[in-house]
Order: sequence, then C-alpha cells, then structure tokens
Amino acid sequence: MKTYKELPNDAGSNIIGQVTAQANRLQKRLASIKHTVAIMSGKGGVGKSSLTANLATALTRKGNAVGVVDADINGPTLAKMMGVRKATLVYSQVGVKPAITPLGTKLISMDLLLAEDDAPVLWNAHTQKDAFTWRSTMEVGALREFIADTEWGQLDYLLLDLPPGTDRLPNVAELIPNLGGVVVVTIPSEVSQLIVKKSVTMARDILKVPIIGVVENMAFYVCQHCGEEEPLFSTEGALDSTLQQAILGGIPFDPRLARANDNGTPYLDEYPDAPASKALMQVAEKIQAFFEGEDLHAPPVGAVS
Amino acid sequence: MKFLCTDCDTAMKFKDVTRPEQGSVTALFECPDCFTEIAMFLNPWETQMLKSLDLKLGGNNEAAQPMQMVRSQLETAKSDAMPNEVSPETSASETAEGGKCPFTSVISDAFQEAPEPTEPTGPVWTPEALERLERIPSFVRPMAKMGIESFAKENGHDEITGTVMDAARGNFPTQF
Repeated sequence: MKTYKELPNDAGSNIIGQVTAQANRLQKRLASIKHTVAIMSGKGGVGKSSLTANLATALTRKGNAVGVVDADINGPTLAKMMGVRKATLVYSQVGVKPAITPLGTKLISMDLLLAEDDAPVLWNAHTQKDAFTWRSTMEVGALREFIADTEWGQLDYLLLDLPPGTDRLPNVAELIPNLGGVVVVTIPSEVSQLIVKKSVTMARDILKVPIIGVVENMAFYVCQHCGEEEPLFSTEGALDSTLQQAILGGIPFDPRLARANDNGTPYLDEYPDAPASKALMQVAEKIQAFFEGEDLHAPPVGAVS
Repeated sequence: MKFLCTDCDTAMKFKDVTRPEQGSVTALFECPDCFTEIAMFLNPWETQMLKSLDLKLGGNNEAAQPMQMVRSQLETAKSDAMPNEVSPETSASETAEGGKCPFTSVISDAFQEAPEPTEPTGPVWTPEALERLERIPSFVRPMAKMGIESFAKENGHDEITGTVMDAARGNFPTQF
C-alpha cells in the first residue's frame, strides 16, 4: 500500500498552493516597505501603543512615509490615539485604503471595522463554544490580511504594535521573515522586566530577530513646576543590566501625553519642548540610525571594558 | 490531507464539497480507477479551522480579494465597514440598484451555511424568550438566535422558552 509521501498531491485541494499564494500576496506588499519594526513588550500596560503612536508621528515628522498596523486584534486602541477613529476604510480591487492622520501616517486597525464601542471581536462560527481551538488562527489570518491587503504605497517604516504576550512576536516573524527589528518596551519595575527579558530572549536567541533596542517608558517624572526629575517607580526597579545594554532611551511620564492619547491629538506637536517629546524624537532618531547601519549599543570610543 | 483507495492503491481525487450544515462540511472523494466514493465529514471546529486559514477544500481558482477573510468572517463588523471605492467607471446600472454590496462577491460561498428550508420547521419562540432575546446586544443577537435554535433542535425542543435559553447559555460567550 502506498504511503503518504508516495501520493502525488492532496487529492485536489492544493492546500500548499493556496498557502503559497497567500504568502506571495504578503511578500508583494512588503516589497514596497523599506523597514518593518515590531513594538513589543510581552508585558501589558507598559505603553506600547502610546509609544507606537508617538514614534509613528516622530518618524513621519522626520520626513518618512510611515504606516502602522494595530496588531492588537482584540484590544485595538491606535485609531483613538491617532485621532482617526471616525475614518472609513475604503475597499478597492487592489487593496483597502487605510486611515490617514492629518500628518500623513497610515493606520489599519480592527477598531475601524467594529460596529460599536462595546462590540468585541467575534468571528462568525456555528458555535462559539470551544472557540479556543481556532480563534488564534483567525487572529493571525486577520493580521496577515491587514499587512498584505492594505494599500500602504511606498513606505519607509511599517510599525506593528503587538499585544502583550511573548508568543506574539513568533506569529509576526512567521508572517514577515525579514522583520527589520524589534523595539522592546518596559517600565522601571521588576515585574515588568521579568516578562520583558523573556521577550528579549524570544526575539534575540530563538527567532534571531534584530533587537533595535529597549525603551524604558515612564522612566521618571519631571515636575512641571520646578523641572526636578523624580522616579515614578521604586529605584529598586531600575533597569536591569541586560536591558540597560540595549537601551534606546527613557521616556518620562507626562500626564499630558495620556490626555493627548485620549483626545487623539499629536502630543509631539502640542508639546514639542516637553522632555517626553524630546525623548521620543531621540528614540525615533536612533531607530533611523539603526537602519542606516549604526551600532547603537557599541561602547563609546575609548571606553574601558 | 491525502486519501488512498486501498483496493486499487490509487490516490483518490476530490469530487465535491457541501456547504456547512450545523457547522459541519462534507467532502466527497472518488477513486479514479474504480470510482468508489468516500465522504469526509468535518466537525464544526475543523470547518472553522479551514475558515480561519482562508483555505478552500477542492482548491481555489479565484483571485484573492483584499481582506476577504476579515470581511466575510467578522461577526461584529459595522454594516458600512469598507465601502467600495467609487470610481468613474461605476456603471449607472449599479448606481441605480442602490449600490451593490462589495462584500457579496468575495464571501466564500463554500463557507456560507446552507440555506434554511423554506417550511417553518424550527422551534417556536415564546414571548418571554423573545423578550430575553431582545436584551442581547444587537451585534451578537443574530448569532445568539441561531445558536439557541440549533441547541433547541439538537436537544429535541419544539419551543424555545426561558428554560431552554438557560440550558443553551453555556454555549455562548454572552449572557442573556
């Protein structure tokens, strides 16, 4: 009796052909994008989406064509933060036209598709019982379509805002084999860093994805009256040495940034001289420098090891 | 998946696939030598996995449409999500028809549930049950209604009462 390998094909469904066609569609779209950057943490609540929205603005202000994928399928927030929640995605035969901010940053997000504010992402199914068996696959499929079927045009940067979980980056790395790099977000707490270090290991050692660097969000608080810097978290939570080696910068906490996110207004334009704005612009510059070939984490010339 | 006719030692060929009924799909395969047919049944979760992967049994000769999986499978999408781009080439007849839904042509027929029989064979809703149904958020109500009716049929209930809804509740992520 013949074995599996001796049978010439899969009886006519050509599943491999269908999967290959999906991959080709994705690669064709990615060909017009110079650099893909995943913003990740592993830990929730550290400000990944806020950082993504502001880095997108910073990179756009520097003259880059920037697109953003809200890869948090179940908890999409970027449309609100970027002030395009009322935008309509327009369908055409060649792709879906994304939402575009007044500055020109493009965004695709599940939030732009949902019926109401309190509508969760629910997929059509005969039963929602035991949906754990297929829901994650559906989410990865949605992410693939967001990247492949959005009319991005020519982009310098495509930023992907990943949801929490160390398992998220492998999904993205499967979809984008030439992922340009990863920006890892943490806050100065031991709890956060415990998880973030797992994400670094996943990216660097397992997936072999370049780590552009670590951003320490809410690194400190600047008093708006006296300009004094104060730690927001306990000093014991200071950045671990592993993460410190890859640091891109620390973003000070600023309640006006949270308000700008809620209002969907560009913080960088409203408060260009604020310490957090300057720090965000510096991180954006370092990301650009990374893709220009600069070694961001080399010891300074003359440094003694 | 590959299928072998053990009598002929020949690879079987895909022949046909049904639309899902109660979430289950049936695919037919035939031996090209002896014409023996076999039926493969996919349970609702296996069917759903195929939908999630945006794959079609029997192959797919149609060009992929942008975001076809999301557009056809997102239950809680707003009705006017992704309107079609209005181009100068849009024919007057299409406009006169009040605009053709751009989703219609791209939703995979293969994964649409078979149409319900025209004769009213389903369970009857009591006024109390209908009132409770109305309290379910509008964006999940059609799905919940279909699920409760399926539950009632599968469990031999001719009438959907509050008790039947309570019994069906475990099948749904939403409370009612």
